[in-house]
Amino acid sequence: MAPVVQVEQLEKRYGDVRALDRVSFEVETGEWIAIMGPSGSGKTTLINILGGLDHPTAGRVVVDGLEIGNLGEKELTRYRADKIGFVFQQFHLVPYLTALENVMLAQYFHSITDEKEAAEALKRVGLGDRLDHVPAALSGGEQQRVAIARALINQPKVILADEPTGNLDEVNEGVVLKLLRELHDAGHTILVVTHSQSIGNLADRRVELEHGRLARIVTPSLAKD
Amino acid sequence: MPSRSMFLRILWRLLGASRGRLTVALIALTSGAAVCSALLNVNLDAERKLTQEFRTLGANVVVAPPSGGNDAALADAGILDRIASLHFARIVATAPYLYVAANSGSQPVILAGTWFDQVSKMNAWWKVEGAAMTSRDDREHCLVGVTAARQLGLSPGSAVQLRSGDRTLSMTVAGIVTTGGAEDNQILTSLESVQNFVGLQSRVSLVQLSVSGTPPEIVEVTQKLAETLPGLDVRPVRQITAAEGTILGKIRGMIFWTIALILVLSMLGVLASMAALAMERRRDVGLMKALGGTVPRIMRLFLAEAGALGAVGGVLGFLIGVVLARWIGERIFGVVISARFEVLPITILLTVFVALAGSFPLRLLGRVHPAEILRGE
Repeated sequence: MAPVVQVEQLEKRYGDVRALDRVSFEVETGEWIAIMGPSGSGKTTLINILGGLDHPTAGRVVVDGLEIGNLGEKELTRYRADKIGFVFQQFHLVPYLTALENVMLAQYFHSITDEKEAAEALKRVGLGDRLDHVPAALSGGEQQRVAIARALINQPKVILADEPTGNLDEVNEGVVLKLLRELHDAGHTILVVTHSQSIGNLADRRVELEHGRLARIVTPSLAKD
Repeated sequence: MPSRSMFLRILWRLLGASRGRLTVALIALTSGAAVCSALLNVNLDAERKLTQEFRTLGANVVVAPPSGGNDAALADAGILDRIASLHFARIVATAPYLYVAANSGSQPVILAGTWFDQVSKMNAWWKVEGAAMTSRDDREHCLVGVTAARQLGLSPGSAVQLRSGDRTLSMTVAGIVTTGGAEDNQILTSLESVQNFVGLQSRVSLVQLSVSGTPPEIVEVTQKLAETLPGLDVRPVRQITAAEGTILGKIRGMIFWTIALILVLSMLGVLASMAALAMERRRDVGLMKALGGTVPRIMRLFLAEAGALGAVGGVLGFLIGVVLARWIGERIFGVVISARFEVLPITILLTVFVALAGSFPLRLLGRVHPAEILRGE
């Protein structure tokens, strides 16, 4: 079976600065990949390009058979709605919509809304009793769980999470990691940008970047052996 | 759930989310709409009322036999029946006149016979010292023009005897009239008295008409009368019609430019609020784009928000404007301005247009780059 994500000789330059320099790797369907590296190593740039939020300068990125480097703005917008589920470090919920409406917003931009399905998604992340709460009335952990429910609602091919536990305390970090593990067990493909070694160790593989270059790809289970 | 419901749901939340800024925009829109509504109401209703007022300033159409060099040409009084049979609602008053030369003692004077019930409607501005005449059938009294009264030494209550050949006509002076026109030199009494006095039953010199409406409407009535009364001259009194046109034109021009200015000021008020709102919403738009929201779909939400604000501002402004128009009407024009409901859709449309134009900064949000916004730049 073809990999769900193929990155070949990917480059991204901002003027003279090379944020990504000839990065190549592949991700199989159902894999959990941790993208790691020090600050400024190109992790967020990589995830933005994979998510269709930024354009590569050179190289090839194929997601679910679609070469996204060649897509125009309209096609990229459709690509994000159809194939990508985002989870951000700052949660990024719309502050004046309830938890339920924040999930339905992703449905609205994808196709049609289904309130029952959105409520089910929130129940699955343990927020069945928080449907009508606005983000300000939710804890950080709860907000991130709303973001995870929103990321999943359109059955995306790939979930991209940028430091999903970066703004959470230890307890909530545990809750979110448990959710990510459950998603992985359910067969979702997950790419997580993280600084946390413990999260990196939970992944199937770690893609480690340094100065925009692929330093190494580590398989934690083999590394332990 | 159909997407339209979600659209309305988000729209409702948007309206509730930025109440402070939207209230400022709504106040700007409502104020502008109130002034527009008031001025439009004044324009429509005052125009109607003012044309009514103009009708008390004398005749604006005259029907007379063609002079053809013969000043004494007379028309058959049957033309009065023909004018009445037309049932023109715009004809407010019809006053026939028969002018004859007579003598009071040794002094010549012009005697005019007319219908005082119509003359009083048409010439409310005539000043009468003594008693006014309002009855068509009063054959005992007459009004004497102020100049003629001075020359003949007449005052209210005086007896006056007129001669024409071997016929005489005796009357009592009811009042001395000042018109500023030819009537100041005349003696006026009932048409029938004059016709009997000179033996010209069923004859009139001319018919004065007071026609309501705007100058073009008056010309239209004149043309129809001319078609119905062949062989007679039907002429609008140009000075009065032109004066009406000038006054109404000036009022209309003033109202148009005031509305334009007010709408621009309202738009600037909305623009200021929306610019601040746009800064607050950059992150939301970035997020919506990241979630797959297309620019037109996101912009529709914001434009609908501005449109809804405009519609609410338009309705509120219309209601306030009606009260304002009433005040302006009473204070400035001395007339009661009634609410004109055709102004409501015009006010709403103008206010929605201003709201959409003022929400230009929100439209710039379409250029937001989601990656930059979500990074917190």
